[in-house]
Amino acid sequence: MHAAAVNDPYFVDCPGRVKKIQELMARENIDVYLGSRLRTLSFVTDAFCPWRSFVVIPPEGLPTAFTFVIDAARIADESWLDEDHVLGYAPIGGMDQITQIAEFITDRLDIRKGRLGIEDGMSNYLPEGNLTHFEYESFRAALPGFELVNAHPIVDAVSLIKDQGTINRFREASRIVDQGHKAVLEAISNGGWQGMTETEIAGIAALAMRKAGSVWEWSFTGGNEIASGYRTGFAGGACTPATTHGLKRGEPLMVDIHAMFKLTLGDHAHNYLIAEATDRQMWHARNFTDIVSRTLEAYRAGVSPVSIAERMMEFAEDRGFAEYMVPGFEHGIGMMGDEWRIGMNDGPLPYWTNPDHAYQENEIVICALQYACPQEGIGFRYENPTLILKDSCEPMSKYPLGVEVVE
Amino acid sequence: MADKVRYLSPAWRDEVEKRFKQELTPEKMKNLTTSVAFIYTNCPDGKTRCLYFRSVDGIITEVASDEDLSREAEFVITADYDLFARVTQGTLSSQRALMSGKLKLKGNMVKALKLASLSDRMNKIMFRIPTEY
Repeated sequence: MHAAAVNDPYFVDCPGRVKKIQELMARENIDVYLGSRLRTLSFVTDAFCPWRSFVVIPPEGLPTAFTFVIDAARIADESWLDEDHVLGYAPIGGMDQITQIAEFITDRLDIRKGRLGIEDGMSNYLPEGNLTHFEYESFRAALPGFELVNAHPIVDAVSLIKDQGTINRFREASRIVDQGHKAVLEAISNGGWQGMTETEIAGIAALAMRKAGSVWEWSFTGGNEIASGYRTGFAGGACTPATTHGLKRGEPLMVDIHAMFKLTLGDHAHNYLIAEATDRQMWHARNFTDIVSRTLEAYRAGVSPVSIAERMMEFAEDRGFAEYMVPGFEHGIGMMGDEWRIGMNDGPLPYWTNPDHAYQENEIVICALQYACPQEGIGFRYENPTLILKDSCEPMSKYPLGVEVVE
Repeated sequence: MADKVRYLSPAWRDEVEKRFKQELTPEKMKNLTTSVAFIYTNCPDGKTRCLYFRSVDGIITEVASDEDLSREAEFVITADYDLFARVTQGTLSSQRALMSGKLKLKGNMVKALKLASLSDRMNKIMFRIPTEY
């Protein structure tokens, strides 16, 4: 391995990842793995694959990615894979994705029968990328010697615990997000908020983060999520694509911004009250910051989502604000495309987080809390990529926790 | 050359090679090293034939038209004789033939795109050969 690569703090051992996948393939008697989920593409190619893409992983040797031809050369340029292992499909005879991948497996890999690992399931996350019914039927017809077997737990298992390069990338993505928050605070302070809209704030944050090295406000929830006034407090809500809603005196402002650095995801929400803040608003704000602090103190290896939720909801009940809490305190995160579900698909509700998942050292979750009081038109959100440590956790965004009152 | 030659015959192949070498300089060939096999299915005599080109550093080194289907080629393009004949005669564009799925390509699509203009250039040369289809 090249010394410069190993000394790069953001280095990830992609060939090593593939070897681990291949080891699990052998254990599960999978002859070829056909990945289609965005998380799998990111994890294996180490490149952003925005078009429908696939990756074929043979029992040994290099994987080959297939993407829409207009993007294949770029992906080959950005990936560790060369142009012979990033192939383009196109609406041309013999070049469509089904024919090309099927012939690649039978002719190039010379594997004509066996168990083909595919990625199936369901997700609340739109770009998950499970094989569609049409694709499944088409591959089944094109590869008659194969049994198609759902094999996504292989990639899920290999990608669960983050390596040092990935952790460092997350730290950098979070540092970038903090730059976005600084720019927003500067812009809205000292009356700067007057005449501003949510979309403008989203853009201010985006510019600052791009200058700092972000390549994309990656979230499918509209990029940077900015909410002001009553929009901060949607009942049970935690999704606020920015609108042209204007900031107003005496109203809350929620700034939930996203940066992407080398496929890892910065995601931090910070909250404001536009002066003058009432005592009641400050009571809500204290409730929120206190429960965030307690949640961050609770994270460590061995705890589970449900154990944290039970403790935090008990605290909220004692303080009299349980009715304002959305009763979830985190969501999963990984490289681009890996969002929401935490851990493996081993919970009581298929493809949702197992509430008893025991966190392990070097897992990363988004600590995520939503406080919403729709009847008073107020709400706050906290999100922060959080590295699970043996006896504690590392919130990766270092932006100080608080609900600031801006004049 | 006044007399027509039969499509894919040895005489036609000779004419293709002669004209390619005259008209396709290494610069026009983009100094490419590549090989392409056109597989003609359902020829008038019922057979399958191969029209094969190889270039090394932009110099055409091999043109073959025969029944040998075993040659290794970077790109393999397969279609019925009638379809290829229509493309060579200019009554059907290669783009339409490809996009309609009637012509099947095998090889690296990204690299094939780089060769698209060259393929058109070669086709125009073959189009000008008086040919009996």
